[in-house]
Amino acid sequence: MEQGTVFDIKEFAVYDGPGVRTTVFMKGCPLRCQWCHNPEGLSPRPQLMVSTASCTHCGACRAACPHPDAPCDACGACISHCPLGLRRLAGKRWTSEALAARLLRDRDLYAQSGGGVTFSGGEPLMQWPFVRETLARLPGVHTAVETSGYASDAVFEEAMRAFSLVMLDVKLTDPERHRHFTGVDNAPILRHARMLAAGDTPFILRVPLIPGVNDCESHLAAVVELARGAARLVRVELLPYHQTAGAKYEMAGMAYRPEFDTAQPVQTHLDVFERAGVPVRVL
Amino acid sequence: MTERIRILREYQWARKHHAFRQDLQVDPSPYRAADMPDYARTARRLSLALSLERPVLLPGELIAGTRTVPALPGIYSDEEWARITATHFIHERGNVCNLSPDYASVIASGLLALRARLTDSPYHAAMRESIDAVLDLARRYREAALAAGDEALAQVLARVPAHGARTLREALQSLRLLHFAMWCEGDYHNTLGRLDQTLMPYLRRDLDAGTLTQDEAFELIEAFFLACNRDSDLYPGMQQGDNGQSVVLGGMTPDGADGYNLLSEMCLRASADLRLIDPKINLRVNRDTPLSVYELGTQLTKLGLGFPQYENDDVAIPGLMRLGYEERDARNYAMAACWEFIIPGRGMDIPNIGALSFAGVVDAAVRAGLRTASSVEDLLQDVERRIFADVRATLAGLKNLYIIPSPYMSLFFEGCLESQRDISLGCRYNNYGLHGTGLAPAADMLAAVQRTVFEEGLSPEELLRAMDDNFQGEGELRHHLQFDCPKMGNDDDAADGYAVRLLDMFSRAVEGLRNERGGCVRAGTGSAMFYIRHAQALGATADGREAGVPLPANYAPSLNVRLDGPVSLIRSFTKPDLVRAMNGGPLTIEFSDTVFKNDEAIEKVAQLVRLFVLRGGHQIQLNTVNRDQLLDAQRHPELHRNLIVRVWGWSGYFVELDKCYQDHIIRRVNLNV
Repeated sequence: MEQGTVFDIKEFAVYDGPGVRTTVFMKGCPLRCQWCHNPEGLSPRPQLMVSTASCTHCGACRAACPHPDAPCDACGACISHCPLGLRRLAGKRWTSEALAARLLRDRDLYAQSGGGVTFSGGEPLMQWPFVRETLARLPGVHTAVETSGYASDAVFEEAMRAFSLVMLDVKLTDPERHRHFTGVDNAPILRHARMLAAGDTPFILRVPLIPGVNDCESHLAAVVELARGAARLVRVELLPYHQTAGAKYEMAGMAYRPEFDTAQPVQTHLDVFERAGVPVRVL
Repeated sequence: MTERIRILREYQWARKHHAFRQDLQVDPSPYRAADMPDYARTARRLSLALSLERPVLLPGELIAGTRTVPALPGIYSDEEWARITATHFIHERGNVCNLSPDYASVIASGLLALRARLTDSPYHAAMRESIDAVLDLARRYREAALAAGDEALAQVLARVPAHGARTLREALQSLRLLHFAMWCEGDYHNTLGRLDQTLMPYLRRDLDAGTLTQDEAFELIEAFFLACNRDSDLYPGMQQGDNGQSVVLGGMTPDGADGYNLLSEMCLRASADLRLIDPKINLRVNRDTPLSVYELGTQLTKLGLGFPQYENDDVAIPGLMRLGYEERDARNYAMAACWEFIIPGRGMDIPNIGALSFAGVVDAAVRAGLRTASSVEDLLQDVERRIFADVRATLAGLKNLYIIPSPYMSLFFEGCLESQRDISLGCRYNNYGLHGTGLAPAADMLAAVQRTVFEEGLSPEELLRAMDDNFQGEGELRHHLQFDCPKMGNDDDAADGYAVRLLDMFSRAVEGLRNERGGCVRAGTGSAMFYIRHAQALGATADGREAGVPLPANYAPSLNVRLDGPVSLIRSFTKPDLVRAMNGGPLTIEFSDTVFKNDEAIEKVAQLVRLFVLRGGHQIQLNTVNRDQLLDAQRHPELHRNLIVRVWGWSGYFVELDKCYQDHIIRRVNLNV
């Protein structure tokens, strides 16, 4: 049986597809977007998360650490020593059977509300064999994926058949800028966007609107081009950047150093979509 | 809202009407004559209070009635009261409270019709004196309206409350004055009951006759709601805002029909439009209630009003019938000040006469028996004994109840006029209700003991010593108890199973008990203010809770636990058999206000409430809070005078609460989505 690494399971996900949903956050991502708000989803390995805001620096964690002078290997020995419970491990191994059982617990609510299960991350397609096997154990459940689209064509094609709804991020259409801000080539992503437009799986194109990076008319016009005429396009969703995106970096022991001005207001350019008759929603 | 309502709302918001309040030192001797029976004193005091009222018409007034006289001294001198309390059990303040008067009948008949049925007996004389005082107040208000040139209001006051109302406006004006006088009688937590059922016949008639548009009706409803917010700072309660002005919308009628009507919807919309703490909305639902009704309710939740509170007819009606309420009465239930189920016009129940501390009995059983227990089952046997003993001891302490009579309030209750028996002495239903505080922490304690002592081999001595030391130097153990052990609220039978059994014990413990009035005893899941008191009586507990940490309010998870989310929460809290917890007490869920950043969330939160109802939950209430805003309100109360929060069974203004209640709200587990 396949196993996968999950860093969170969120009940009552309100913004991850239709109805009331449970969202599974898969750990590990090939992209390094500068605006990523789930830094603990980047590495495929389990890692320690520490809430620092209410830490009193009592030192109990350090006293409990078996190797205080080496880099943290996420052994978790310190967790139970924190009197305030501020430490936890992000990243738990699940079998597909156990995960499916956990998700099926809420099938009454999915049915009642027209909801279901959403796989997000990280990049869920990075652990595709595990995700595929889990999906096979969820018969009759509406399933959705939030993906960067950065996967092999074969995997993406399989995913299009396996999910009830695909939500694909289109971050930047310019190849160089995409590589600069996310670390990877966007050719497979744009190719997969066209596969969706030509295919028969319902899909949503999502644009995280980053101030000064892609909240310009030309990018959104390129998104319109990808969306226009696609038979199964549900809509385009715009997700304006929030300044809270950096909140978890310190918890994960990482630095948040985006090159863009995080305080700058985001432009939505809804008129671009309206003119083209492409349905759009701001989340 | 119309311009008229907007102006009136602003006016009240600035508390300009407080300027009309009279600074009176009233001599109580006219109603404290030694030879006057208690009911006659009440009537004389009411008569005096109303005669001192100066009619006040606010700008744009549609529904008149503004208090200008603060409460008069009571009917007893301190010495008399000391003599009475020495030999009687006194509930709270000693007055009639927390009832659902039958307004519908009195609005329909008018007070004169009741007056015509009175004889020359002394008790009837007291009723007559009360009626005449109310009618005289209405007369003076009418004169003020005429003097102000408000012909329409004068005509309404010429008709009601003396005669039966014919129109929605007359019905609302009648209700306003009838309700107004109850407070002046000394009665408190005077609920407003099934407002949509009471008023719908009048609205229907007006609409059918074409004499009123829906917009005009809406304005009248808003004017009435505004009137409910006018004097509430003069009403007695545990805290500002705890005034009992609850209304109940929707739900089954006594005949078994669905009572949700146009007025139910108008009331929900008016409440969302005005954003005031009164009246506090209860919404009765069942498994067939359409999602759109929940969505309308969720619009109020989104505003942070702390209501509606939902009641599930599918659970409440059979639950009440199981306690002996007749089917028509069970179907006609209304809510007391917080969440207690009461019967309009027939119930003299005292639903908050005492409380069981689940957390207290389980903690006592753990401390007394853990060293010798061979399993949690041994502890549970002791817990059961303690619950039975606690309930019996509470009931034994409730002997020789005395309540100050209320002949005016008695006019609204079946049979009181004919039998000349005051409502304070009882009515068709005379049941007592006990709250049940801290069910979740109690279940968590047992789950933690099971896990650590009986599964992992922790020595009982070590656990008990750590508890005695308030976990000083035992940080790791405390962490383990608090964060690794099963908690109620995470859909984990290892904790929830104990909650099921504890509530079952409570409901069996009260079964068959009779109070001195012949009524039964009802078990509930509410806390009222006991969540503060019961926590103060506890040291550190086996669930890892340190001494001084409060218990959760009502039916809610422990404070400071990690929760998986609202779906697990609902699954956990619908496992106990809530049909047998018919004293009420809602599951309370706190949401961060970020949940509602767009409209899609309305439908989804509505689905969550519906899940609770479909799974057999009895009552649920959702709060929307912004913790930063609450903290800022503590620092700068002057900037947050309008900030509304839910406290235990009612909504009030945050800055008017005592700090311990403010702090509790800030500490409640708050779900981000």
